[in-house]
Amino acid sequence: MDSKGQAAKTSAMLTPAPWMPRQEGWAALPRLPQVLGAVLFLAVAALATHLTQDSFPEPSGLFLFFVAVLLAAVRFGFWIGIATAIAAFALFNFLFVAPLYTLAIAKPGDLLVLAEFLCVAGLTGFLAGRLREEANAAKSRAAVLEVLSAFATDLAEADEPLAVEQALVLHATALAHGPALVLHEANPDTTDLQAADLQAAERAFRRHIPQDAAEPGQQGGRYTFLPLMQQGQVVLVLGYHRLDSQRPDRFARAAAIEVICHQANLALERLRFAQAAEDARTAATREQLRTALLTSLSHDLRTPLATILGAITSLRQLGATLPPAARDDLALAIEEEAQRLASYVDNLLHMTRLQAGLALHLIWVDPADVIAAAVARAHRAFPLAEITADLPDLPMIRAESALLEQSLFNLIDNAVKFSPPPARIQISTLVQPTSLTLTVTDQGPGIAPDSLAQIFTPFFRANPNLSGTGLGLTICHGIAAALGGSLTAESPVADGHGTAMHISLPLPKASA
Amino acid sequence: MSNPPIWPKPLILIVDDEPQIQRFLGHALAASGYDTCFAATGQGALEAVAAKKPDAMILDLGLPDLNGKAVIETLRAKSNLPIIVLSAHDQEMEKIMALDLGANDFVAKPFGIGELLARLRACLRKAPQPEDVLRQGPLVIDLPGHSVTRDGAPVHLTPTEFDLLVMLAHNPGRVLSHRQILLQIWGPAHGEDVPYLRVFIGQLRQKIEANPSAPDLIRTEPGIGYRWMAD
Repeated sequence: MDSKGQAAKTSAMLTPAPWMPRQEGWAALPRLPQVLGAVLFLAVAALATHLTQDSFPEPSGLFLFFVAVLLAAVRFGFWIGIATAIAAFALFNFLFVAPLYTLAIAKPGDLLVLAEFLCVAGLTGFLAGRLREEANAAKSRAAVLEVLSAFATDLAEADEPLAVEQALVLHATALAHGPALVLHEANPDTTDLQAADLQAAERAFRRHIPQDAAEPGQQGGRYTFLPLMQQGQVVLVLGYHRLDSQRPDRFARAAAIEVICHQANLALERLRFAQAAEDARTAATREQLRTALLTSLSHDLRTPLATILGAITSLRQLGATLPPAARDDLALAIEEEAQRLASYVDNLLHMTRLQAGLALHLIWVDPADVIAAAVARAHRAFPLAEITADLPDLPMIRAESALLEQSLFNLIDNAVKFSPPPARIQISTLVQPTSLTLTVTDQGPGIAPDSLAQIFTPFFRANPNLSGTGLGLTICHGIAAALGGSLTAESPVADGHGTAMHISLPLPKASA
Repeated sequence: MSNPPIWPKPLILIVDDEPQIQRFLGHALAASGYDTCFAATGQGALEAVAAKKPDAMILDLGLPDLNGKAVIETLRAKSNLPIIVLSAHDQEMEKIMALDLGANDFVAKPFGIGELLARLRACLRKAPQPEDVLRQGPLVIDLPGHSVTRDGAPVHLTPTEFDLLVMLAHNPGRVLSHRQILLQIWGPAHGEDVPYLRVFIGQLRQKIEANPSAPDLIRTEPGIGYRWMAD
C-alpha cells in the first residue's frame, strides 16, 4: 500500500469543510457563567479604581476598566467583550466621571473613550475566539490522528479477522465518543440494539449503503451503520453511536471513521488472501502426499504381488519341467515377497494409526528386551548383515514395545539397505538423567546434506533405485514423537561416511 | 504345459528393474524352453538388444531411467523385434501408447505365467504364409472368394466387415489396438472413431460368434482393442 498517498488522503478528509457551522467560533453566543465572569471583572475594576482614585490620577482608573474589557473579551469572546465594553463605559461614567452618579456625558471626548472600549473589546474578542477555535480544531485533529495511527498499528499486528474487528470497534468507539459494534450477516449479535437500530442495520446489509442515524427517516436510531464491502458482498457492518451534533469536529470524526472502515476492509482482504494462499499451500502438500501414497501403494503392493502370482503360476504350470533348485528358489521368492508385503502393510497401519492420533497403551518396558527383539528380527531378515548391540543394564521406560521395536527395526532395515554388503550395524545406548538414547549406526556412505532435511518426509526416498517405500523413517519419527521423544539423524559420523540415527526417549522419574 | 525345446532356443530379453520379477521370469522361461538374458534399465535394454540379438523382449514400462515407451520408439526405428509390454492395470494410456508405438502385445501385472507364455508364443510365431483359406473352429474364411462359412453355412458380410475379420484372423492371439484397426480398415481420417469400430465389431460378432453376448472368437481388451483368439 502506498503509505504516502494514504496519509495525504487521510489529512484531506480531516480538513473541515468550508460550510461547516462554527458553533464554538469567535461569534459564539454567550452563556451565563461567562456573563457572571464579565460582571466580576467589572466589579473588581470599579473597586480598584475606587480605592486608588485618591492616590492616582484619573486616567489610571480608565486603564483598569480597559484591562477588564480586554480580559472579558479574551476570556469570553466577542459578544461578551462588546457588552462588557458598553457596561464598563457606563459604569466608569456613572461612578468616576463628573457629574458623578449620572450617565450624562459632559465632555464629547468621553464618547471617544466609549469608541476605544468598543474597538478593543470587539477586536480582542474576535481574535481570541478565533485562536480558541483553531486550538480546539488542532486538538481534535491530533486526537483523530492519534486514533488513526493507533488503529494502523493494531491492523499491522492483526493476524486474524477477529483482531481486525476488535481493533475496529475499539477505535470507532474512541472516534464516536460512544459505543461501537460489528455485525455479521450470518450471526448478528444484536442484543444491545433497539428496533430502529436493527432496521437501520438490516438496511445497511441489504442496500450496501451507509445508514446515518442523523439523517431523516432513521426513526430515532442511536447508531450509524457503515457496510464493509468486498467483491460486491457485505463482509460486516460497523455500527457506531450517533455523533454529538453540537461538536464542531463531528464531520471530521465521521470521515475518520470511514477511513478506519476502509483500512479495516483492506486488512480483512489481506488476511483473506493470506488465508487463501495458506489453504492452497496446504492443499498442494496434501495432494503431494496423496500422490506419493498412491505411487507407493501401486509400486510397493504390486511388485511383491506380481512376483508371488508369477512364481506360484510358474510352480503350478511348469512344475514338472522346473529343476528342483529353481522350484526352491521360486518358493523362496514367494516367501520373501510375502514378508515384504507384510512389513509394508505393518508400516502403513502404524502410520495410519500415528496420523489418526490414536491413544498409545504405555506400559513399563525394558529397552534391552525391545532392542534384542528388533535385532533378532533383523537377523532373520538380513542374514548376511553384521548387527551388534551392546546392552548394559538399562532403566525401564514407558512405551509400547511393538511400536518401539518397529521403529528400531526400520532404522536397522534402513541402515542395511544403504550399506555396501556386508553391512555392519551397531546399536548403542546412552543413559542421561532425564533421557535414554538408542542409536543405530552404520558404516555406509552417509546421507547427502540436501537429503538430510527431508528423510523424515513421508515417501521421500533418498535413493529411488533401492527398493523401499519411503515410509520407514517417517514412521520412526512419528513413533518417537508419540512416545514423547525424538528422532534425529547424524551424518556423516566419521571420515565423511556413516550415519547415526538417535531415538531419544524420556526417562520417567520412577525408573531409576 | 511344456514346450518341446526348439533348436536353437529362442533368446528372450527380460527388461525389469525389480530383481524378484527377473528371478521368477528367469526360472519360468528357462523351464519353458527359452534362453533368457536380463536388463534393469532402458539403456541396458538397448545395449542388450544390440549385443545379444534376442528373439523377443519382455519390457516393463516403469523403468528407473528411460521410459519404456522411449525404448520401444528407439528400437522400432531400426528393428521389428517382438516386444511384450508389462504394465499395471491402471496404466491404460501407457499400454495404448506402447501398442501404438509398435509394441506387439501387453500383459498387465500381476499376471499368471500361462498368460505371458501364450503372448510370447503368439509373438514368436512366424508370420503365416499367405494362405487362401483361414480356418478358426467352425469358421472358414475364403480370401480369394471373399466368402465366409460357419459350420458350412454361408455367412453374409459387408466388405468392411470382411476386411475387419481378415485383419483380426491374420493376427491370432495378438491384441490389435483400436487405432491400428481403424487406420488399416478405415484410413488415417478415422483413427479416433472408436464408437464406430465398436458397432462393426458388434455386427461381426452377431454373424460369426456362436453366442454373440459371450464371444470366444473376438475378445475385447477393455480400453485397448480386440484380440483374435487362436486355438
